Amino acid sequence: MNLDKVLSNLYKNYGENPGKMLVHTGTAGWILSCAAQLMAIWTNDKIPPEQKTFLIPQELGDGLINILSFYILTSSVKNLSSKAVLNGKIANKAIRKYLEKHNLTDKIGKIDFNIKKTENFGDIKEDFNAFKNGVDVIASTAGSILSCNIVTPILRNEYAAKQQVAANNVLAQKKENEKTPYNRFTMKDYQSILRHPGMRI
Amino acid sequence: MAVSAIKNTANRVQQAFYNVMPNFVAGKKADKFYKASGREISSAENRLILGVTALMSQPFIDFYNRKIDEDTRRVAVCRTVAKIIAGTLTGYAVRKGTIKGMQMCSQLPGKGVPRWKTLFTPKDVKKIDTDEFKQYQNALGTYISLGVMVFTNFLIDAPLTKFLTNKFNEKVVEKKSGGTK
Repeated sequence: MNLDKVLSNLYKNYGENPGKMLVHTGTAGWILSCAAQLMAIWTNDKIPPEQKTFLIPQELGDGLINILSFYILTSSVKNLSSKAVLNGKIANKAIRKYLEKHNLTDKIGKIDFNIKKTENFGDIKEDFNAFKNGVDVIASTAGSILSCNIVTPILRNEYAAKQQVAANNVLAQKKENEKTPYNRFTMKDYQSILRHPGMRI
Repeated sequence: MAVSAIKNTANRVQQAFYNVMPNFVAGKKADKFYKASGREISSAENRLILGVTALMSQPFIDFYNRKIDEDTRRVAVCRTVAKIIAGTLTGYAVRKGTIKGMQMCSQLPGKGVPRWKTLFTPKDVKKIDTDEFKQYQNALGTYISLGVMVFTNFLIDAPLTKFLTNKFNEKVVEKKSGGTK
């Protein structure tokens, strides 16, 4: 694929759709950021292993939840708002005037109605696109605030707390095993031999 | 069959949503605000808004997470604040820089315009002082910034997060023990 084609595609795809660009690049950005943050915890010697057992799953959960919730929530909020502008539910005065002038008010809010496909759309094209871009950008920003700053931190903490309990149990078990030499004969072993004398010499 | 059933259900849910949603007609001020936002908020400003709002919510969510012990909670809050500051500063600067760079390198060819300044101008574009072209420059700059961030995330973002986490943690411990070093 040559550069010209890539640039033309970018222009066609995002030139009239900045909200979509924010969702797509935001998702890619979170993936990269998650990878970097994981490495930061892993290589930080000042964080004790017990806390790393919380922070690493927290970051991993944070990353996965962030990416998923960012994409799902942000694109849903953006798409709902975008469609609301296309079907006239959200409008400015010029768009409303246009709908009234062309007797299209009864179609407002119908999901199969698209102002862009109406006959005289050229009359308000510029005004409509500028307004829709603004709604898209505000909706994408609101969606990302909701997903990244409220939903994700709550979900990731739930997830990471569970992970910490499990990881600490494993660590405690490991420490316990280290305390007991493997060839030390315990009461439990002795009782086991008494119960199953034929199994050991 | 199953796909069309899912599609029909999704459409019905969406229609129900629009049926209960009140009509909203933006007044003059709101209209101006929306249009300015669409024109001026690029991914860099979006990242800055996300960072500022993150500082207002995430540390508190971590602080009131009673499912973990106090020490871990303290480090988690310090790290969250450090991560937000480092991520926002790096993210904003890199995005802003690459968008500026793309604006410089996507001008119309003409007399006295060096070739490097037209490197990222699509061939079929005849006018560049339009909203669409500005959005294109933002998009291109943002995509380039993702490539740059592969490096800055590891070289700046992550070490800065680590540095700030330790600094904040030291301060909190110092304050808690009631003395200064």
